[in-house]
Amino acid sequence: MLRYRDGDADAFSALYARHKGPLYRYLLRQVRNAGAAADLFQEVWSRLVATRGRYEARAKFATYLFHIAHNCTMDFFRRDLRLHHAAGDAAHEGQAPEPEVPEYQRPDAIAEFAEQRSALLASLHALPQEQREAFLLREETGLTIEEIARVTQVGVETAKSRLRYAIRKLKKSLASREIVGATPLRPREAMKAANAST
Amino acid sequence: MHPPDDLDEYLRGDSALSCQYRREPAPTPPPALDARVLELSRLPGPNGARAGRGKAPCLAPLAFAASVLLSVALVLAIVFGPQSVRRADDAPRVVRIAYNSDAKLARSPRAWLADIAALRRAGRNREAEEELRRFRSAYPGYYIGDR
Repeated sequence: MLRYRDGDADAFSALYARHKGPLYRYLLRQVRNAGAAADLFQEVWSRLVATRGRYEARAKFATYLFHIAHNCTMDFFRRDLRLHHAAGDAAHEGQAPEPEVPEYQRPDAIAEFAEQRSALLASLHALPQEQREAFLLREETGLTIEEIARVTQVGVETAKSRLRYAIRKLKKSLASREIVGATPLRPREAMKAANAST
Repeated sequence: MHPPDDLDEYLRGDSALSCQYRREPAPTPPPALDARVLELSRLPGPNGARAGRGKAPCLAPLAFAASVLLSVALVLAIVFGPQSVRRADDAPRVVRIAYNSDAKLARSPRAWLADIAALRRAGRNREAEEELRRFRSAYPGYYIGDR
């Protein structure tokens, strides 16, 4: 990032290649809408590009990038909520009430991910947003509790508590589906396991 | 004894939960999105490629010193500058001479009082009063009658 800040445009490619996957999944699994995730993804990188001159290597680059991503996501949720409040008011006046469900929770939006949805992702999506975010940050970036706290602008204890609840709920949810410890291996993994045993 | 904490176990890494998450599909941005972002990264910053690196820190004290200097100069100009010039230009000749000599205290009391009288004659009573006040503070014991 320092090289990119100092004018080396090619340095961005390496940076992008390393972080694009985790960032995309973080956004996609937060907002649960491929279109919104793509918009946010572009917005995050735009902000990074626009503010590159102010970048200082005080912490891990991932902390910096996901801090921007967190802010963009929060803005998205706020915008979404306002839109739906407004839509709710309009619908009320027009006697055609619609349920006040955010776009990213609507069945039509969720449907696009139906085929990707596993029991774990379904349980993840059922978590409160803050807990889901803590889990995603940990899994996608390997950030420590302190770094997660910094990214999400909360105290360390709060971040720790969010992650603890997320794990507990996910385990419980998966146990109730009898998945933990008994996940069927996919064909490729099954083949690997068979090769290893021979 | 505390019960084993889910979090501690999870943070040690390679928990069943993490392994399972890693086995999930890992979607990545579509190529068109990649292309858009990479294109975006090549745009120059607001002030060119090395934009926004901030002002050189060494310029900060200089800027501060310059602003202090300007402020002092401005205050001096307000207090002494235009007022003195205006008075010197507008005052009657005798007063102008006194101002140009630029030594109020060096002026004899009599000359000063004559200047004040000239101001009064010119109808500039406010300035005359001001001069009289200055005169009194310069020569507190000087008897000047009922002026």
